Amino acid sequence: MVALVIALALFFDFTNGFHDTANAMATPIATGAIKPKTAVALAAVLNLVGAFLSTEVAKTVSGGIIKEGSDGIQITPDIIFAGLMGAILWNMITWLKGLPSSSSHALFGGLIGAAIAGIGIHSVNFESLMQKVILPAIFAPVIAGGVAYVCTRLAYALTSRHDPETGSKLTQKRGGFRTGQIFTSSLVALAHGTNDAQKTMGIITLVLIAAGTQQPGSGPQFWVIAACAFAIAIGTYAGGWRIIRTMGSGLTDVKPAQGFAAEASTASAILASSHLGFALSTTQVASGSVIGSGLGRKGTSVRWGTAGRIAVGWLFTLPAAGIVGALTALLVKTGIVGVIIAAVAGTGAVLFMFVQSRKSHVGHHNAVEVEEAGQAVRFRKKKALAASRAHKLNGGDK
Amino acid sequence: MKWLELVQVAGATLLAAVTVVVLYSVGVRFTAIAGDPEQAAPRWMKSLAYVCFGLCGLAVLFGLYLIIPYFSK
Repeated sequence: MVALVIALALFFDFTNGFHDTANAMATPIATGAIKPKTAVALAAVLNLVGAFLSTEVAKTVSGGIIKEGSDGIQITPDIIFAGLMGAILWNMITWLKGLPSSSSHALFGGLIGAAIAGIGIHSVNFESLMQKVILPAIFAPVIAGGVAYVCTRLAYALTSRHDPETGSKLTQKRGGFRTGQIFTSSLVALAHGTNDAQKTMGIITLVLIAAGTQQPGSGPQFWVIAACAFAIAIGTYAGGWRIIRTMGSGLTDVKPAQGFAAEASTASAILASSHLGFALSTTQVASGSVIGSGLGRKGTSVRWGTAGRIAVGWLFTLPAAGIVGALTALLVKTGIVGVIIAAVAGTGAVLFMFVQSRKSHVGHHNAVEVEEAGQAVRFRKKKALAASRAHKLNGGDK
Repeated sequence: MKWLELVQVAGATLLAAVTVVVLYSVGVRFTAIAGDPEQAAPRWMKSLAYVCFGLCGLAVLFGLYLIIPYFSK
């Protein structure tokens, strides 16, 4: 059972990397800053390195959410298995339906749901859950968005050059941000490794604790860290090929300066949160930054419909995955037959997802999750912008 | 209290991102001034730009240094 859960967890880690390469590397590839092959390899290596940087988030997952150990409630590998299945199945459902969803929240939701159904509501440490998962989930994207807004404003203000006498534009060389994007997107990949790989480490550690082979309250062992790091890096590398095929279909209109600001904010937000053990969704933080930086450009407005859809998917995932996790836990409770049914269903789901993703046409809608966030900001046409500027100038003359 | 930690995250994010973006933007501006074909710019302008990029890179490395537990032990 323990081995099965570990294998499943590592596979979950792999799909996570597979899914999220695009978030970090899509913009620099689109603006032509790096060649696709180099970008994908770079992202994989940085995910690997990032996974070794910290273990705070892993400790949150293994020690904070479900009460464990002798004084708490005994959590069993079966429950973790059910939770993981819930997460994988929910991921599969949202992926098929094209709903924006966070695999991290699916993981927590599944685990919590399974624990409630399998052990009882008292097994969940709600205080820690609130403080380390739910609050950061709500605030981190907002923080990242706000910071990205400020940074985009700053980047444009600092690089705008006008002739003091004629007021005409001078050369601004904003293309220079393209080179900078290589570094900021690398940092995003690094941050992704630190936060997301650790969630899997936490799960495996939790299994080992539940099985009695590790002390409750201790951090992940080295082989766990290494295995998770490699799983996410391989996943990233494998997933990268999808982006390369996608690049022809065009991305949101993200200017280098804007992308630079957004990525700098994303990376700082994730790294700062990881340091304090907050487990958050990298996709959502990146989406927050993209929206924020879009608003920081002149003449933009929010498409509330799209933004609302992102927000709904964002709030919905945790309870929904919880329900799936709870159902799986009930199934597993019925005995060995239930375990086998759940295992077959879960493995089948993962395989189906993988096969589908290989053969289906990859459009930008399913390869780049942040894309949707980019579309949530409407850009005014150049002409309208010029007209409004002229209007302002005339008003100023009076 | 965890609200304090959230404020900490917000503050650290703002500080780090603004530092990196400002330094890089100033660097880009200096590059633009140095490379302007219409106005002759002093030669040290170019080196000033590189200093800004360098500082930006150092800021990033310093941030990573603060985060990685290996160094702070």
